Amino acid sequence: MSLIAISSDSYASGLDIARRTAAALGYGLVDRELLASVAAERGLPQEQLVQALEETPSFFGMRGRRQQELLVHIQAACLEKLREDNQVCYGLGAHLYLVGVSHALRVRVLADPKERLAETAAQRGLPPERAAKLLERQEQERRRWSQQFFQADEGDPAQYDMVLSLGNLEADKAVELIGDAAGYRKFQAMTYSRKCLQDKILAARVLEKLLPQFPDIRVQASDGTVVAQVQSLKRDQRKKQEAVRELASQVPGVNYVEVHVIRDYFGQAAQSGR
Amino acid sequence: MAIITISRGSYSKGREVAEKVAQRLGYQLVSRDVLIEASDRFHIPEVKLVRAIHDAPSILDRITHGKQCYIVYIRSALASRAKADNLVYHGLAGHLLLKGVPHVLKVRIIADLEARVAAEMQREDISAAEARSLLLKDDAERRKWTQTLYGVDPWDASLYDLVIHIHKLSVDDAVEFIVQAAGRQCFQATPASQRKMEDLALACQLKAELVKQDCFELGVTSEYGNVVVYVNKGGRHAYHLDAKLAALRAKLPEINHLEVREGLPFPPAAV
Repeated sequence: MSLIAISSDSYASGLDIARRTAAALGYGLVDRELLASVAAERGLPQEQLVQALEETPSFFGMRGRRQQELLVHIQAACLEKLREDNQVCYGLGAHLYLVGVSHALRVRVLADPKERLAETAAQRGLPPERAAKLLERQEQERRRWSQQFFQADEGDPAQYDMVLSLGNLEADKAVELIGDAAGYRKFQAMTYSRKCLQDKILAARVLEKLLPQFPDIRVQASDGTVVAQVQSLKRDQRKKQEAVRELASQVPGVNYVEVHVIRDYFGQAAQSGR
Repeated sequence: MAIITISRGSYSKGREVAEKVAQRLGYQLVSRDVLIEASDRFHIPEVKLVRAIHDAPSILDRITHGKQCYIVYIRSALASRAKADNLVYHGLAGHLLLKGVPHVLKVRIIADLEARVAAEMQREDISAAEARSLLLKDDAERRKWTQTLYGVDPWDASLYDLVIHIHKLSVDDAVEFIVQAAGRQCFQATPASQRKMEDLALACQLKAELVKQDCFELGVTSEYGNVVVYVNKGGRHAYHLDAKLAALRAKLPEINHLEVREGLPFPPAAV
């Protein structure tokens, strides 16, 4: 009766472990196949959803604001799916937004560095030194990605309950250790941890609704009460509060909306300078 | 039949985990004993060795090779202990000091800063701010130590086989995981991996003896007792190395063959 969120430095290795773990425990697997339904339900291009999970915003790539919106859609759909217990989640960044849900076991799997280097070198046709540099750059970009969108360093072991390195541990052993940990009492779903997950689902759904109009908004939810923080100029304050309240109230499950306005001093200074 | 190194921050419950693992497996528990052994063997006050393994080397140390010498002594003492197998070592950089030996299970135990602050407050009877500042300073010192001497970050999870966060997982859970992992085939000593351990111990011992005789900036490798000493160009004569090595060869009967290579880059496996 728990959730397992797996993260990995190598997509293929992590997926393999996630599949094996789900099979060994008889759990469901929530992976990137979910993106097809996210794309269909919300009318979004699936390639862009994959891109949002993989790329760091850049001048020539996807804009940060658009990427944030896509990630919130993925987050909402994934959390909704994880409402069902006994799921293994991989490849959707769940380890970053399940923080605070006590029945979620967060595991990072590190692929065998030699195998990873050899695979990258073979796939890209690069000499080992250049492949090593490429991997290093990819890791740095991944850290930037997680810090920008989830304010957490994906490579930091403190973000996980355990980190397993496949350099020496075989995949079967890693699966066994994950299964054992998931069976511990602390990772069993309790009323409070289910409530935390429910609050996260509601917050993500409200955020989906608000983010296109209010890109700087922050949302928290608790028992149907939504607290939103939005930046505003003094003169637009009331109008913005009303708009946020109205949009958020349309989301099923929202009983009350509280809007806190943070004064946008930079915007105000720019306005007064005109 | 394995060697387990447990790397930990202060107040991360790593010591408790190590003690329980050693007890469960009936292994020898080693930490400060290594320093005492190094202190006895190389006639260095223990306090200097404690500082060497705790404080990052200063600029002066880098010139005088002060701390590096002590690390060489500590490494030699640890390697000779690890030769006997069935050992749990907890302390700084065990995974780096025993690098290259296949049957070493490298574990890191981490804990939440808040839990560590609470433990430090209770033990030292100080305020939360003081405890936090002490812990952060200690962490920074350890990070600097490892980065200066080994060029790696001790917080990098890829250096370990298993990283366990003591938060939702308890000390007993961590012990269970480590015991399970240590039972795997890949962490059992084989004749080949035991040979590597013995070679590492021999290389470390030779290097420690050379450092004791003021021979710095050299690398030592050993394979089946065939020892190669790497020195920078001109270093051989400056240290009067040949004479010193001849004396050491007589002292260390494990050496089958001894060779000095001058001006060649040190291989990564060299100690």
